[in-house]
Amino acid sequence: MVKVAVLQFPGSNCDLDTLYVLRNVIKLDAELVWHREFKANVYDAVVLPGGFSYGDALRAGVIAAYSPAMKHVKEMAREGKPVLGICNGFQILVEAGILPGALVRNDTLTFICKWVYLRLENNKTVFTWKGKVGQVLAMPIAHNEGKYFNDEKGLKELYENEQVVFRYSNINGEVTPEANPNGSLDNIAGICNVERNVLGLMPHPERAAEVILSPYRTKDGLLIFEAMAEFLRGKGVATSRWS
Amino acid sequence: MENKSAAKDPEGETIMRELMHRNGFETVRKVRTGKYLRIEVEAENKEKAREIVFKMCNDLRIFNPVIHVCSIREADV
Amino acid sequence: MPLLGGVEVSLAEEEIRKVREILGREPNAVEAGMIDVMWSEHCSYKSSKIVLKQLPKEGERVVVGPGYDAGVVDIGGGYVAVFKIESHNHPSALDPYNGAATGIGGIVRDILCMGARPIALLDSLRFGPLKSSHSKWLLRYVVKGIGDYGNCIGIPTVAGEIEFDESFERNCLVNVVCVGVARRDEIVLARADRPGDLVLLVGGATGRDGIHGVTFASRSLTENSEEDRPAVQVGDPFTKKLLIEATLEAIKTGFIRGLKDLGGGGLTCASSEMAYKGRRGMEIDVSKVHLRETGMTPFEIMLSESQERMLFIVDPAGIDKVTAIMDKYELQWSIIGRVIEEEEIVVKANGEIVARLPTKILADPPTINREAKKPAYLDELLKIEPPPMPSDLSLTLMNLLSSENIASKEWVYRQYDHEVGIRSVVKCGDGDAAVLRILGEDKGIAVASDCNSKHCYLDPYHGGAGAVAEACRNIVSVGAEPVAIVDCLNFGNPEKPEIFWQFKMAVQGIADMCRALSIPCVGGNVSFYNDDEVTGKAVKPSPVVVSLGVVEPLSSIVTMPFKEPGDEVLIVGETFRELGGSEYYYTIHGIEGGKPPIVRFEQERKTLEFVLEAARRGLLKAAHDCSKGGIAVSLAVMSIKSGLGADVDVAAIPAEEMRLDELLFSESHSRFIISTSNEMAEECFKLARKHHVTLSSIGRVKDDGIFLLRFKGEKSLLCKVDDIIEAWKKGFERRMGWG
Repeated sequence: MVKVAVLQFPGSNCDLDTLYVLRNVIKLDAELVWHREFKANVYDAVVLPGGFSYGDALRAGVIAAYSPAMKHVKEMAREGKPVLGICNGFQILVEAGILPGALVRNDTLTFICKWVYLRLENNKTVFTWKGKVGQVLAMPIAHNEGKYFNDEKGLKELYENEQVVFRYSNINGEVTPEANPNGSLDNIAGICNVERNVLGLMPHPERAAEVILSPYRTKDGLLIFEAMAEFLRGKGVATSRWS
Repeated sequence: MENKSAAKDPEGETIMRELMHRNGFETVRKVRTGKYLRIEVEAENKEKAREIVFKMCNDLRIFNPVIHVCSIREADV
Repeated sequence: MPLLGGVEVSLAEEEIRKVREILGREPNAVEAGMIDVMWSEHCSYKSSKIVLKQLPKEGERVVVGPGYDAGVVDIGGGYVAVFKIESHNHPSALDPYNGAATGIGGIVRDILCMGARPIALLDSLRFGPLKSSHSKWLLRYVVKGIGDYGNCIGIPTVAGEIEFDESFERNCLVNVVCVGVARRDEIVLARADRPGDLVLLVGGATGRDGIHGVTFASRSLTENSEEDRPAVQVGDPFTKKLLIEATLEAIKTGFIRGLKDLGGGGLTCASSEMAYKGRRGMEIDVSKVHLRETGMTPFEIMLSESQERMLFIVDPAGIDKVTAIMDKYELQWSIIGRVIEEEEIVVKANGEIVARLPTKILADPPTINREAKKPAYLDELLKIEPPPMPSDLSLTLMNLLSSENIASKEWVYRQYDHEVGIRSVVKCGDGDAAVLRILGEDKGIAVASDCNSKHCYLDPYHGGAGAVAEACRNIVSVGAEPVAIVDCLNFGNPEKPEIFWQFKMAVQGIADMCRALSIPCVGGNVSFYNDDEVTGKAVKPSPVVVSLGVVEPLSSIVTMPFKEPGDEVLIVGETFRELGGSEYYYTIHGIEGGKPPIVRFEQERKTLEFVLEAARRGLLKAAHDCSKGGIAVSLAVMSIKSGLGADVDVAAIPAEEMRLDELLFSESHSRFIISTSNEMAEECFKLARKHHVTLSSIGRVKDDGIFLLRFKGEKSLLCKVDDIIEAWKKGFERRMGWG
């Protein structure tokens, strides 16, 4: 039986939401794990949920990135286990150096909570293999520091290694400046590691996994969790397909 | 600009406790966060520049005297 | 200020005499400080208590009514909803960011200490017009304070309202609401009733914050308030988040016998109220309290209002288990005392008794019967001449839609995480009320807050009743049944008879409306002294009412936008010539006066029952109540929200004799705009007859991009839907600017 950890840091606040979706919607064996009790070898996958770990003090995600639990997350990432960072989880993965780049303050200088459209750019990852490139997904964002940034060289590498997974787009999948809510470089909303078993994204798939919560009566967020679940259950596609 | 010394600074406390103390820098005694504006002003001399900035900080509520202290330091451009 | 026990207190001479009489001696300094804070308006409700008695508190769903930190109502299926509203006006006027943030902190603690998980926040805000940069500054930082705090602790801010009026220029009103849910058997009461139980203080360390914060809240703002620094505190949402999780986990151990947050009045208030409710006493050793500052005196520790603290009454058998949970969350804690048999609060410091007072003198101070007198201004204001009718009604509508009171508040709610918790089914701006689902159940809670201060100014009685009516209409228009209200009563200085008259009338209106609808008032908050001491100008009376409803099943939820072209548009209720205090008079004509809307109690009840039944039977495709801006604005917003047009015949609106502009913009109560399919329209009429409610078909939803109101063969008002969308969506943002 596969087991998924939802890693709780002090200040995580989408932990229960993520657990609810994994357990009740995806029907996975998932549990909340307090950061100090987290061990890599107990779990087959780990989700770093959204929230404000350590109150976003100094920079979002930086204090959690230095916690011992992240050594275990790094180990899981190295072993090829699925690691998913949502919102603050993405910020932690970036601060910990597991994913490249930086997440900085939104161009609006305000927190932004709204539904956005995402264009799927890479379906050769543990979390997106069930989707099609160019597919448009609706999900909400809710963040203060979600503007993705990388230098020229870093951006080039991201594209060369096909690490850009989601970009903000309009409903037709066109990646336009108007569709960019926070000023992210190249409209980047989510990226993966070179090995494609670690995904970080600013939008919240767990808030878009049930029709009743979507203004468009969609459940696009499910794609990410289902892909991960089926990967864990050994169904679907072998790793070789995207490596 | 930073919070008055009698007021709490939860961000500074969290940085000290959770980041510095936890990662081997136990000797840190106090951390206060604040905000820093580097302002270039056209003025005859430093005193005039200081006067302008002082007035501006008060008039435009650059800081809130209820909770913040604000200090102004001059430097050559 | 007069002296008691050798310290300055903000009590009246007569009150000081009473203290000495009850006590039979002169209190010492610590005792005087404790009495001073507990006898303040904020803690004692001394001016309002007598008036508030008339509010109906009983009902079959009421689990816990007024008197505790929050009201608790049964919502079926073993669940209860817990909710409360509170003001944070004075601190927010001085430091909008920290003032509003700590307001959220306080209201969340109130829900938490009943044992419930907080699941939603609302904010009801009032400022001066946005043409003033001061008002903009206040609004910007109040919103940021609420957002930063609420977002960080992971509680969605799902609804609210904002009013702008000159009377709030110097005294903004910041009212915040928190809603929680719990299993009925998880509710914990704020009381200490078993001697020997331990008193555990958890959370933020105690500093010299806000000493005398409540006496400050019970005073008007003066020119030099900006020097009153210690009264404004800094919120710490990170610690609060840990406190929330630790408290909920501790309750699950079964060893928590009582629980109360430390807010206004600090340790003094929490200890004495818990002991008084349990008919016991408490012994507290201030030397045990974990401190942030050195050299604090017992006086300061007992009165400190440091944020993020909770007081637990713990069964000694479980103290290790409970403190282990606090350790897990790295929260500081100290066992500071125990519950005692004698009904008194005993304060010790380093083994010596420094204060000893009967709980009653602290928790049940004498009330004051204040004088009330109808203000002279009223009769004059009611008699004004109607202004001339504008020549271009389309332009009038556009101006109303883009006015700061009516325009979309998206600029505000974009900054609030309104999705966290995955419960937000009807989101900000989509319905008259927010709907939050109960996870794992086919059931939801609807919640809305309302108050029309302009109506209240002209007629506080009908204004108060109207706030209840409108809040309940908002609940019904999403398909939910209103089950209870809480209120936050914001007024000027109650020592002025004219202000106290406003207060009395508003409460009477609320009480009468509650009775007519058989809805209890399960809690509330009173904020007096919202006036400027220098100019003597008070805020317009603002009794904010929060209504909570239950919607079940979730498929019966109705939202505001029109749904499909061809759908029939209907109006429920009758329109009267009631333009006093209307947005139309204020924004278009700059008039403050006229005959304001009155509530027709019986008709209001029937109307609510009709709309609720229609929603439950699936007859409604869209519903929106008619309030600010009248029929024209309600119809326009339903169009804007859907992007669909409408073709409406104004002559079909049931109304008394009046001019066209009056008909379009009157703010009469007991009205809804609904839309339904052609097939279901007949059923709607049958149902309306059954409920004795006036229902009239007035037009159709169109897909031609035109919003058209016809009158006697003329196209009286014609706008492109795109234009009204632009006006409504940009009206607010343009004033504030993003960022």
